[in-house]
Amino acid sequence: MATTIERVKKVTAELLGLDAASIKDDARFIEDLGAKSVQTVELVAGFEEEFEIEMEEEDALAAKSVAKAAELIDACL
Amino acid sequence: MNSVVKKLIEVAGRTPKTLVFPEGADERIPLAACEIAALGFVKPIVLGKREEIEAIVSREGKTLEGVCVIDPKESELLPGMAAEYAASRGVKEGIAKKLVSKPLAFGGMLVRMGHADGMVAGVASATSSVIQAASVTVELAEGISAPSSFFLMVMPEADGRVFVFADCGVNIQPTAQELAEIGVVAAANAKKLLGAEPVVAFLSLSTKGSAAHPDVDKVVEAVRIAREMAPELCLDGELQLDAAISPRVAEKKAPESPVKGAANVLVFPDLDSGNIGYKLTQYLGGAQAIGPIMQGFKKPVNDMSRGATVADVVAVAAVTALQAN
Repeated sequence: MATTIERVKKVTAELLGLDAASIKDDARFIEDLGAKSVQTVELVAGFEEEFEIEMEEEDALAAKSVAKAAELIDACL
Repeated sequence: MNSVVKKLIEVAGRTPKTLVFPEGADERIPLAACEIAALGFVKPIVLGKREEIEAIVSREGKTLEGVCVIDPKESELLPGMAAEYAASRGVKEGIAKKLVSKPLAFGGMLVRMGHADGMVAGVASATSSVIQAASVTVELAEGISAPSSFFLMVMPEADGRVFVFADCGVNIQPTAQELAEIGVVAAANAKKLLGAEPVVAFLSLSTKGSAAHPDVDKVVEAVRIAREMAPELCLDGELQLDAAISPRVAEKKAPESPVKGAANVLVFPDLDSGNIGYKLTQYLGGAQAIGPIMQGFKKPVNDMSRGATVADVVAVAAVTALQAN
């Protein structure tokens, strides 16, 4: 079974049109992966759908990297 | 309620628009919606759970008469909205459904799909959340690259003038292109809100080449672009503030300018000058500042301060309704 961080990378890769294998754990969504700021709300919705969770919007938007998002999701599971 | 807000409500009431208020869980919103429905100048849609919203208003001895309540998660509009969002943004429908079931995005989709004419949010959300939700749902207007904002500055009664100041709240260092867009959109809003022909001055430390600096060049370039965008508009720059609003000074410093010292839309070159300018006018000039009012979206979306009162929500609803005209 894929780990949380692998699933975060899969969703991120799908939404941003990237190769999941090329995404590093500490990659930041906007600065390193080229997400536009408006895409961050779509990333949050993508994680909610993948993990079947509800995230607090402000906490979610404060998680700026793949690793931070995975940490926050683990806390929600 | 002050006289300017009364006037805005009266004008908005001539053609009542439908506005959506996504933050129904915050008690200021249902209470403001009751007041707005009672005054009849806007048809309010409040998002949230009906029983929670009913409990809020009944505690104050009010009813939801004239207020439409929609729970996004239960709404029959949700599948259609998700499909529309997925198609327009190129995301999976499952993700789109998650996203548009959130109140801010659901509200934005109501506006996008024509169920509402505008949205008022922000009493319980960060400005960035409101802007992001509006950007992916309502979307920026054609030819506009970034949202911006303006204040209506109502001078003391003895003066009687009302100005539009832009951008005093969003863009820290706009480019020449962005500055031009800010000026053109602010002019359109001035026409709707002031009911007067806009006369736009792009402000600077220089009047018509009196100083040389890259910051002055930026304003000159913005004026060139704005003229291309809206050739019919009365606009000019670069102008110092006195040459923009004083006919006597304009005659000396910029006698050829079409503004003639009669500007009612002041476009500040950056957020430093805009923010300082509106506060000087408010605190030293005794003006009333209404705003910030957002602009640049296809349909009006406003972001309120988290400290807003019920009366503030009512006033912003009137402004938003007029922007929707």
